[in-house]
Amino acid sequence: MLTNYFKTNGMVMGWGLLLLVFFWIVILIILPQIYMFNLSFHPHLPPPEMGGPKDFLTLENYRYLVFGADGNPDGYNKVDLLVFIRTLTAAAFVTILDLFLCYPIAYYLGQSTGGGFVRILVLLLIIPYWINEILRAFAFKIIFGDSGVINEFLMFFSVIDSPIDFIRANVALYAGLGYAYILLMIFPMYNVIESLDRNQIEAARDMGAPWWMIHKRIVIPYAKPGISSGCTMVFMLSAGALAAPQILGGPSSLWFTQLVYQWFNTGGNWPQASAYAIILLLACLVIVLSVMKLFKVNMGDIGK
Amino acid sequence: MIKQPLYIRIGLALYLFMFFTYLIGPLILMSITAFNSASFPQITPWEVLTFEWFPKLFSDDRILRGLKYSLYVGFFTVILSVSMGLAGALMLTQIWPKLRSTYYTIIIAPILVPGVVIGISTLVFWAEINRILGFSADSYLQNGIFLSVLGQSTFIASYCMLVFVARLQRYDTGLTEAALDLGATHLQAFRRIQLPFLAPAMASSSVLAFLASFENYNTTIFTHQKFATLTIVLSQKVRYGIDPTISALAFIIVCLTVLGALIHEVRTRRVQLALANGAPVGAVTGGFKAPKFFAGNPAAVVLGLFVGAAVLIIGFAQVYDPAPAKQAYTDQKRAIQKKAIEAIQQKARDKVRERQMKGPKVFETKKGTGTGSPGKDSFGSVFKPNNLDEAAGTKKKKPVGVNPGKGAFGNIWKSDNLDKVAPKEKGN
Repeated sequence: MLTNYFKTNGMVMGWGLLLLVFFWIVILIILPQIYMFNLSFHPHLPPPEMGGPKDFLTLENYRYLVFGADGNPDGYNKVDLLVFIRTLTAAAFVTILDLFLCYPIAYYLGQSTGGGFVRILVLLLIIPYWINEILRAFAFKIIFGDSGVINEFLMFFSVIDSPIDFIRANVALYAGLGYAYILLMIFPMYNVIESLDRNQIEAARDMGAPWWMIHKRIVIPYAKPGISSGCTMVFMLSAGALAAPQILGGPSSLWFTQLVYQWFNTGGNWPQASAYAIILLLACLVIVLSVMKLFKVNMGDIGK
Repeated sequence: MIKQPLYIRIGLALYLFMFFTYLIGPLILMSITAFNSASFPQITPWEVLTFEWFPKLFSDDRILRGLKYSLYVGFFTVILSVSMGLAGALMLTQIWPKLRSTYYTIIIAPILVPGVVIGISTLVFWAEINRILGFSADSYLQNGIFLSVLGQSTFIASYCMLVFVARLQRYDTGLTEAALDLGATHLQAFRRIQLPFLAPAMASSSVLAFLASFENYNTTIFTHQKFATLTIVLSQKVRYGIDPTISALAFIIVCLTVLGALIHEVRTRRVQLALANGAPVGAVTGGFKAPKFFAGNPAAVVLGLFVGAAVLIIGFAQVYDPAPAKQAYTDQKRAIQKKAIEAIQQKARDKVRERQMKGPKVFETKKGTGTGSPGKDSFGSVFKPNNLDEAAGTKKKKPVGVNPGKGAFGNIWKSDNLDKVAPKEKGN
């Protein structure tokens, strides 16, 4: 097997390729994840005591997420669990929001004949995506802040007397997150819809199908890989977002990644942070895989 | 396409307009705040047109240092992730078919793994390696740039791999075989045949990798250690106190992005047009002829306008002096404040008089905001309704003479904005 490989690639090239791929897959992808997984089952110890008698495998870090510290009167770690559930539901909400927002435009772009106007639209779509994540959140802070554009505007026309707290109501956060990942929702859908044969739609229309029936029976089934790919990306990225919740999140609503960040940086408790990170990763994977199963889409369609 | 009924076309136009307002509006608003002299990035109240935030931005040490680190990290990330992505893509066609889908899942997975997870795993893993090897805590394995490059390359290489896979699908392996038959070594065949074919993919994946690295936050926040990249510096600034230098930076970045996008669009369009007219590509990728350059290429027109506007703005900034306007604004504001204070003093006097007249029994006072004050009505919503009290309260601590009122009102509003960020950080 390998001799064949070296025959087609040559010694230098063959080893170069192998080395690079090995470095990427083993050293960068697999080993760090395994080590983090391992670390999450260890107690939090100062470096000299690592590997010592106090270092044993424990489920304590996972137990903490569910039940909280020892002697917790509530029985459950309500704060963290609530944050966890809220993060996932909010990410799902942002995903659905983006889906409804982007489907029409993806359909419009995909079915248009590609004139100059459409090219400009595509350009306008791409530009916000290359602006720094922090600056995008910053823009929404300017818009939704207490003395932000919307509040000032509404007060100028005396619609409201005192500023509405958009930040506390999480409006700013949802708008910012939805904004950040629009492109990742549009492009997979656009790519699929573009390849849809227009004659199919024409035929359906000739047969007298109303527009919603055309979408329900022809476009959406055809675009399913694109839709699920876009939803997966948006869901994973918004559940794993850190900057937008830090900047736009209300004082009372934390994002799960912020808990991870706090365990890591403020608390300095690496094993606990690892456990939380693993939980986040697993939860996202389980949700995405089960939704994909539900809609009968393959993993191979992602990333197209 | 069949002509749609009118209501659908109107609906579509409305939807497109709203959608692109949502998409572009925030960027425009943010850019505008860079030219307001208020010390907090805001559009209303508009104070005075100014360019002062740009020099301030360029003299900010932390931002400049952040930019330097970002460039270092970006440079090494591009090298590492493009080469790993290329190797990964080349391997995909050669690996045993049974393993192929597993292999593909593994190398595509980093895109879907949250950046936070990649950051933490990279940091804890290399800290452990460092400990096993017995290096000190500040060895190069714990260097922020080293860790950031590795952490970012983990997933950026996946993006690059996707770009290469798309290009390699059109590659004819017969070319390499022919070169080998003619006596080239494998390395020569790769360098002279396959690499030139992959050059466009190399270019676009390099740009992609650099931009992804430059704007990465989730991974870098864990791995940067002492080397805060530009994105990290920005995030700290945005979280712990905003000033319009960030808007100035945002404006510059928006302009650069638009410029880059336009140039790219103009070039692809030119090639397309030329091919449509039957000219060989080489004939149009060189040379520059003004009328031809703009013909049938709306992006080129926009690009021309854009560059013209940039030149005009820079020229205007050179001669523009905001000092007189600023002085006028300050005077105006001081007059408003004076009136407000007078109104409050008047009210207090009235109250005292009222109390004296009605006797000591009437004690409850209306908690109001001086509805009759001359200052409020005449300036409408420049104030928020309850601002007069706050303004007066601050003024007692800080006499007008000491602080000639630059952004006095802005500060009052800002104070509770900042508080809102702070407790969140402290509270947990």
